[in-house]
This record gives sequence, structure tokens and C-alpha cells, in this order.
Amino acid sequence: MNSSLLSRKPDSGLGNIRSSPADPSRNIDWVLMAAQFALTIIGCFIVFSASRTRVTEDPYAFVTRQVVFAIVATVVMFIVMAFDYEWWKDRAKFLYGLTLVVLTLLFLLGVASGEDRISFDLGPFNVQPAELAKFTTLLMLASYLAEERSEEVSYARFLGGLMIVGAPAVLVIIQPDLGSASVIVSVAMGVLLVAGAKARYIGLITVLAVVTVFAAFLGRLVNDYQAARIRALINPGAVGADDTYQAENAMRAIGTGGLTGKGWLEGPLTNGRDIPVMWADFPFAAIGEQFGLLGCAVVLGLIAVVLMRVWRIAHLSRDLLGTYLCAGVFTMLLWQTFQNVAMTLKIMPVTGLPLPFISYGGSGLIVYFAMLGLVQSVHMRRMR
Amino acid sequence: MAVDRRGARLGVLAIVGVLLFGLIGTRLWFLQTVEQESLQEEVDSTKLRTVPLLPERGRIFDADGRILADNEGLLTVAVDREVIRRESDRTELFRRLSGWIDQPIEAMEERWDSVLYSQLLPLPLAEDIDEPTALALQERVEDLPGVQIIEQSRRVYPYAPLASHIVGYMGRITAETKDAYTDAGYQLNERVGQFGIELSMERELHGEWGEVVYEVDNAGRIVREVSRTPPINGKDIQLTIDLDQQQYAEQALQSQLRFRRTQTANNPLDRETQFTTRVFPEYPEEVPYKAPAGSVVVMNYETGQVIALASYPTFDNRWFESDLSDGRFEELFPAVDEFGEPISPDESILVNRAIQGQYNLGSTFKVFPAYGAMNTGLMGTNEYHVDRGTYRMESVDQDLCSAGLVRCVYRNALCGNGLPCVYGAVDMETSLAVSSDTFYYSLGERFMTENDYQPVLQEQVRQFGFDEPTGIDLPFEFGGTVPDEELKARYAELGVISEAEGSGYFTGDNVQMAIGQGLLSATPLQLAVGYGTIGNYGSVMKPEIIKAIYEPGVPDAAEPGYADVAQGRLAEEPNLTGEVVRELEMTDDIHGEIERGLRRVITGPGQVNPQGAYRSTTGEKLFATYPGGGIPLAGKTGTAQGAGNYPWNDSSAFAAYSIDRDRPYVATAYLEKAGYGARAAAPVVKCMFTQLSGLTEADPVVLSDPLDENDLTPAPPMSLRDTSCFEGQFTNFVPAD
Repeated sequence: MNSSLLSRKPDSGLGNIRSSPADPSRNIDWVLMAAQFALTIIGCFIVFSASRTRVTEDPYAFVTRQVVFAIVATVVMFIVMAFDYEWWKDRAKFLYGLTLVVLTLLFLLGVASGEDRISFDLGPFNVQPAELAKFTTLLMLASYLAEERSEEVSYARFLGGLMIVGAPAVLVIIQPDLGSASVIVSVAMGVLLVAGAKARYIGLITVLAVVTVFAAFLGRLVNDYQAARIRALINPGAVGADDTYQAENAMRAIGTGGLTGKGWLEGPLTNGRDIPVMWADFPFAAIGEQFGLLGCAVVLGLIAVVLMRVWRIAHLSRDLLGTYLCAGVFTMLLWQTFQNVAMTLKIMPVTGLPLPFISYGGSGLIVYFAMLGLVQSVHMRRMR
Repeated sequence: MAVDRRGARLGVLAIVGVLLFGLIGTRLWFLQTVEQESLQEEVDSTKLRTVPLLPERGRIFDADGRILADNEGLLTVAVDREVIRRESDRTELFRRLSGWIDQPIEAMEERWDSVLYSQLLPLPLAEDIDEPTALALQERVEDLPGVQIIEQSRRVYPYAPLASHIVGYMGRITAETKDAYTDAGYQLNERVGQFGIELSMERELHGEWGEVVYEVDNAGRIVREVSRTPPINGKDIQLTIDLDQQQYAEQALQSQLRFRRTQTANNPLDRETQFTTRVFPEYPEEVPYKAPAGSVVVMNYETGQVIALASYPTFDNRWFESDLSDGRFEELFPAVDEFGEPISPDESILVNRAIQGQYNLGSTFKVFPAYGAMNTGLMGTNEYHVDRGTYRMESVDQDLCSAGLVRCVYRNALCGNGLPCVYGAVDMETSLAVSSDTFYYSLGERFMTENDYQPVLQEQVRQFGFDEPTGIDLPFEFGGTVPDEELKARYAELGVISEAEGSGYFTGDNVQMAIGQGLLSATPLQLAVGYGTIGNYGSVMKPEIIKAIYEPGVPDAAEPGYADVAQGRLAEEPNLTGEVVRELEMTDDIHGEIERGLRRVITGPGQVNPQGAYRSTTGEKLFATYPGGGIPLAGKTGTAQGAGNYPWNDSSAFAAYSIDRDRPYVATAYLEKAGYGARAAAPVVKCMFTQLSGLTEADPVVLSDPLDENDLTPAPPMSLRDTSCFEGQFTNFVPAD
């Protein structure tokens, strides 16, 4: 392991450079990291404001867990960064295989117990293999496509890629967690697009994606289970709250925020019970009501910074693998941000897709951080 | 080349990103500037309306799964208040409805004006309508705007009046309990448990309210459903009570009380006047017993599970679910008599005497001083006391005695010749068998004098659970009293006893207590726990009446009146071995001595006294007819003197336990103002054990006929089908006690 990362020597002045400018530890993208941490910290505040009145025993219950998640996610990110992304590529098949095994196991467990299963219950936390699948599928797909050192993927390789995406996507769909499946598909689209799949290939996968996503919307199955779990935790027995009502109020919360918002902890809709599971599904409404257009612009701006930096690294990468990885991360973040904000603004139907870095949820946060760790790894080793 | 192509493709991604962000940004700007005001107006005008959803009350089963308390669906016609706010609409609607639901318009108007109906819920106009009417109304929904058929539920008791005192009854929330119930999430017009299991298990039986939240506009019209929290139904509760045994106990108790009312107590001739006058000259020669009330307890002494718990006078708990008006309810359950005075305690119906009776136990109590004496080494198993029929206290200054300032002489009960019985030399075992009073007078005094006047007897008997509630899951339990200095001081303050009497605890008090008289009081259930403790070699068990608690929805069984408890899901693991409150030291010596004594009560032999006369034990003649295959018993009679020491006020007590620990039953009976223990209470216990042994022909338990609302009796009388088990009680012998 590259321990120099964590024990970086101070610069000793010009002319006496002890490490090369190409040393990975000197090439961390600090702008990306700063934007990412700023978003995560803002997220903790938003989770607190959106959950404190709904939890009777301890108003800090959710934010405390979110902070713990953030710390764990940071550790995960640094571990991922510490390794060369080539190192990760060498383990892509193993990790991908492991993911399929875990997903199958979960499916079989579900069949055996006769109920839907999207997570393994491990005491205080539960682990969702679908999140792992997002990471490993990206790694596997990027590695697989990068093997063909040409500017355009062949049809055979495209089909192979489709199968790589298809296997975990189908396993995730039957959990059923269509939201996560749509994310996996969006990642694949980004990677394939950049890998130079022909327009008709992209067309094919777009149709597939659209069908998946529409199935998700029609079935309203997206993360419903997750939401129901959280609801049941807060208010036992209260399931099946009206989604349109939820979305209507989310939109009202944003709208009534106006230009500068009603102030920290001053939003009546955020404080009330009108928007169920706001801390996970509608944190953007909490931002809008409390901090107005200004606050929304800051958060969207920070996400834009993250996206631009990832895009830039995709550009800077010396090899196809790095570019593909970054492209996948880019599309994933873009898709989730758009989907979540747009449903809050009532221009997209309600799904349970979280707002990256802001929404409450440990599995999601860890996956974003791990993926940005990969992106950093690409950046750090671009001069190799 | 390649890099350029890659760059171009990345450019496509960037453009997609910019487009999506642009879309979001535009919409955001539009909402937060242009739409802001109208959205704010919308938010301000939106109101939520919450409609509560009633949980179904849990049911109550007996040990075999018989449904003792059930719910019955009830169709109610109600109307949405908003629809009839305008008077003309209201009058028109009431006019149209009146014929259908057989309700005059004025009555409906009255309900509209009444404050007794919730303003939030639809106004009920007629309850308990039949199904065809409900269907007809639903078909004419266009002519009857806002009218709805609501399903409500009512409590039914399929086996009433059996076990009414245990199951209990429901009633409206009272002013005193209002705050507690509303804090617990109850609605004001709910009915809640008022007595018995319905009260003690109210929280489990009730369940949790659900609610539907509607968004309503300014006019109060429902815009949409916001959320729906289904109600959580109440848990089902299974009792340890076996209705077969319960019915038998109630029948035996009632039969015996009725029989005792035909019997008389002799007004004895007065020795002082050389037997020329009666002791109570103002009364006739023979005075009938009133035998107004009584109770029976049957318990498993290994687990503490209560199998039957009968109390008389009894009632039918369905009266509390019927709509008795015009003072008819007060007529059924009077609180005051015709002169406006509170009714005599003899006649109280709504009291469970088995756990609320505040009784002197008489000689049934002697077992506990006997244990205390042996356990503290005051008296061994081979020591004798010479019973001369009377006992003179030795520790008191004899001058005080002769001056009549202190009562120093205590006598045994009278034998047939009008003189106190004399037994001669008696050891512990025989003292129990023949129920020698002087033996225990002597013990009572020695407990004081040989223990520095410390309350040692009190400590010993309290170990058996006296002077504390047993903790059975039934409300209003009486904990009993064990006389000591503190109790006397408290009673003096309350004016129950005189100041002088309450100034201290005297040896005489201990002498009285040792035979179960004086200020000692206990319930028949406490007596059963005490005897059970002898039966199981020293474990004081908490009496259990709850066998199991099930999650809501135990299904009905195929057989009517039964639930299929095997299909139920337990809410918590039931405690099958029972809860031991205390372990007493019970050596084989002590246990053997007591049990031999109690065994002789049942089987004899008695004692040949110094005059050569055979004195039978108190129960041997009665139990001579106890069937050979019956559960082998050890027991003790008791006769508690009542007000004025009139013989016809004697209350009758009997306690017995099985010495076969595979059939570990203990039973007690207490019959108020019914005569000697051996005559009134003991036959009931004898019958009960014959039934527990499976040697009787008992009536099968059947579902009750509907309640006849024209017959204003609290409960119809019951009687035992086969009274042969009472045999032996009619013989003319005069037992010692």
C-alpha cells in the first residue's frame, strides 16, 4: 500500500524537491474534495432540519447517524484513493463476481422467506448490496471496455458490456429496487457513450433504460421498501402516504422559500409533518424553504463543481480506463441529482432516488465517496 | 485522433449536464419568484382534518378457548355534519331518513344539538340497524347526501353470567379517569373497562387508534387523503379460568347458600341462668341463617393459576352493554336502598368477594400460627398442651383479670351439651384436627411472652402473603390486615376502635389473632395462597389469572363459542411455571405435622378426651361420604364470629388442598352468615374436589340465551344438577367449630 499518502513530507523549498511532481500524493484534486465535503456538511445540517421534528425521542437521531456515515465514507474514500485504479481494475472480476453472488444470495433469501429483500440486516445498520453493485459494475464495465484499445467499441464488446450491466441490473430489479437499477443503467450509458458505442447501440440501451425507468415510475416501486422501513421506524403502521401530496408539499416548500428563504429551522413545512421522509426523499425542499433560491443555487453550484471536476479528470486521464471510470461517475451523479431535484420541483414523478451527498443514507454516501475515490485515483496518477 | 473523439463524446455528456441543470434552474427560479405568492396562499388555506379509526377490542378466552368476551358488529347510520349544516338541508334529509331508520325527526334534531356527540366525527342517527335497511340506504345514496353506514362494535359476553366478576364489564370514561385516558390516546366517547379483566387488562385489550388525515379546503371539502395509519387491534387474552370448573363452583355456591337459608341457628340456653333463658333473649329459639353471599376459589398451587373464582351475589355483565334507561339500571344495581341509605354490604353485587372480601378467617387461620410456632422453635412436634375447655391468660396481673379490666378467660367453642368442648392433652397435629381453641390461645400468649413482646407471630404469618395484595391481575384487590400496634393506632384514628383499645397491642390481641379472630382480615384468595404454600412445601405463589396474551386476531374455532387458540400468535412467552413470591422454610417435620393434622380433619380420627368421650375431627363426618377415588385432601374448617356474636351471624370458611402433587389443587370457600365451617363452606369444597376428581355429573357449559331485558334480575339463579356430593352435611352432629 502506498503509505506516503498519509505521511506526506512538507515541501522543503524550491530546488530541493524530495518527491517528484508526479507523486500521486501531490496530485489530489483538492477542489473536488472541498466541494464534496462542503456538500456533505451542508447535507448533515439539512438532514437535521428535516428530521428533528419527526423523531420524538431524539431530534439528533438521524443527523448523528449521518455524521457517522460520513466519517465511514471518508475512510472508504481514502482507502480507494490509496490504490492505483489499475490495481482496482485487476480485481474488477473478483469484486464483480462477488457482487453477483451476494445479489443472488439475497434473492434466494427473499424467495425462502417469502418477502422482498433489498438489504442484509446487520443489527444497527443494514447493508444494501445494490449500492455495492453500482460501484463494482462501473469498475467491471470500464475495465472490460478499456481492454479494447480502440476509439470505438465493437458490436461484440458492446454486447459483452450489456451483459455485464444486465446481470446485476436484473438481479436488482427483481429485489425489487428499480431506482438502483436505473442508476446502474445510467452509469452504463455514460461509459458506453464515451467508449464510443455507435449511435444505434446507444439508442438500444436508451430504450432499455427508458423502459426500466418507466417501469419504475409506473410501479412506484422505487425504494418504496426503504421509505416504508424508515416510516415504520418513525410512525409504526403509517404506510402508503399519498405520493402526490408529498410532492405537492415539497414543491410548495420550495416555492414559498422565495429568494432568500424563511431562515434556518424556520420553515413551517419542513418543521411540520407534511412531507414524509423528507430527510431522505426531499432534502432539496428543505433547502428551498429555509434558504430560498440562493441556498438552492449554492448547493446546485457545488454539485456542478463536483461534476465539472469529474468531467475534467475524465478529460485529463491518460488512458481509456480512467476516462470511462470518470464518465460513469459523472453520469451517475448527474442522473441522481437531476432525478431528485426534478421530482421535488414536480417535473418528474416521485422516486426514492436520493440527492447525492445531501440525502440521509449511509449506503449511498459510502458509494459516492468510494466512486470519487476512484476518480481521485485517476487524477493522482494521471502523470504516471 | 482518439483523444479528440473521446473529447467530443465527453462534450456530449457535458451538454446533457448543462441542459438538465438549466431545466432545473429555470423551474426553480420560476417557482421561487413568480409562483411564490400563490403557493404561499395555497399553503395558508390548506388545512388537515384527522378522522380517527377505531381499533377492535381484544377478546377474552377461558383456558379451553371458550370466548368469554367478544365483539359484535353494529351497523350505524351517520351523516356528515358538513352536509346538513344548513337548516333546510337538514330538515329535508331527516324527513327522508325518518321512515327508513324508524327514528322521529325530533330525535334526530336532538342529536344534532347535543354536545355528547363528537363534532369531528359523522353524526350517528340510528344504531344497530338491520342489514337490509343498510343496503337499501346505500342504494339510495343520491337521495341521501352525506349519509353513510358505519360499522361499530359492541361487547358481547357469550357465556354470561358465568365468570362475570372475573371478565368484568365496560362503561363510559368517567370524569375522574378522563385525563388519564385522553393522555393515553383514547377518544372521549369510548367505552372502557370498569371492572374485572376488562379493567385490569384495558391497555392490552384496547389497541391503538389509527387515523386518516385528509387535506380539506376552506369550505371543509376533502381534497385528498394525506395519510392513513391503520388502527392496531387489541390483544386477545386467555384466562387460566376453566369455565367447566367455574360453572360448577358458581352452581355449588348458589345451591349451598340457598340451602343454608332454610337452616336455622340455635339460640343457646344461658348457662348463667341455669339454662332457663336464652343467651339472646330478644331472639327466638331458632333463627334462620341469611346466607346472603359467598365465594369460592380454586387454584393450582404449583403454578398459582386460578381455575375458578366464584362470587355471589352475581350479575350478568351484558346488562352493562344494554341500553337500560329510565332508572331501570339503578333498579337492577342499586347503590342505595329505598330509604336513601347505602345498601348493606351483604347485598353488594359489583364486588368480587373472592379477592375483595374483608373476612375474619376463623380457625382456617390456625395453620399459620402452627407453622410459626414450629418454625421459631416455640413449640415442637412432641409437645402437648392440655385443653381443659377454657384458657386463662397467665402473663396478666390476675387482679386486673378479677377486676374485669382485662379479659383473661377464653373458651373453646361449645359442644352439644352447651359447655365448651374439652380435648385433654393435645399436640400440634391434634390441635388442627379437632380445632382446639385453647391450644392456640396459649400459643398466642406465648408468642408474646416468650419473644419479648415482639411481633413474631405477625412476621410468621405475613410470610404466607397475609397483609399484602397477592398481585392477581384483577382490580380492587383487598390486601388484608394483620393486627399489630400500627394497625390498631390507625384504626383508633379512623374511629374503627376506641382510643383506649387502640393505645397499644396487647397479649389479648395476639390470643384472638391466633384463632383467626380480632382485627385479622384476609380474602378467600389469600387463604388459598396460604394453604397452597403448605401443599407445595413452602413456595408462596402469585395467583395468576392470565394464561396467555395473543397478538390480535386469534381465529374462531369450528365449534361455536370457541376460539382456536392453537392458531393464535403469542404476544409474549407465557410463564407456565408461575411466579414464586417467597420461599418459606418448610422442613419435612413441620410440613408433616401440619399435613397430618389437616388430613385427620378429613379422615379422622379425632380425640378421646379425659372423660372418655370421642371428639370427632371437624370434617370427618362430612367427608365420610367423599368418594374413595377422589383427590386425597388435607383441609381445615373455620367459623368466624360475626356482629354481636349471634350464632346466626357466624360465617363459614373452609380451605383444603390436594396432597397428591400431580393434581395440585387448593380450594377455599367462604359463605357469609351461613353457620359452621363444616356445615356451609366445607360441603362446597367437598363438591368442588369431587368435580375436580372427575367424579360428578356436571352440567355442560352452554352458550347463554339472549338477555331478557324485561326480566329485571341481575342474574338468574343457578343450581347444581347433582347434589349428592353435599351428603353428610345434613346429619345432626354438632361439630366443635
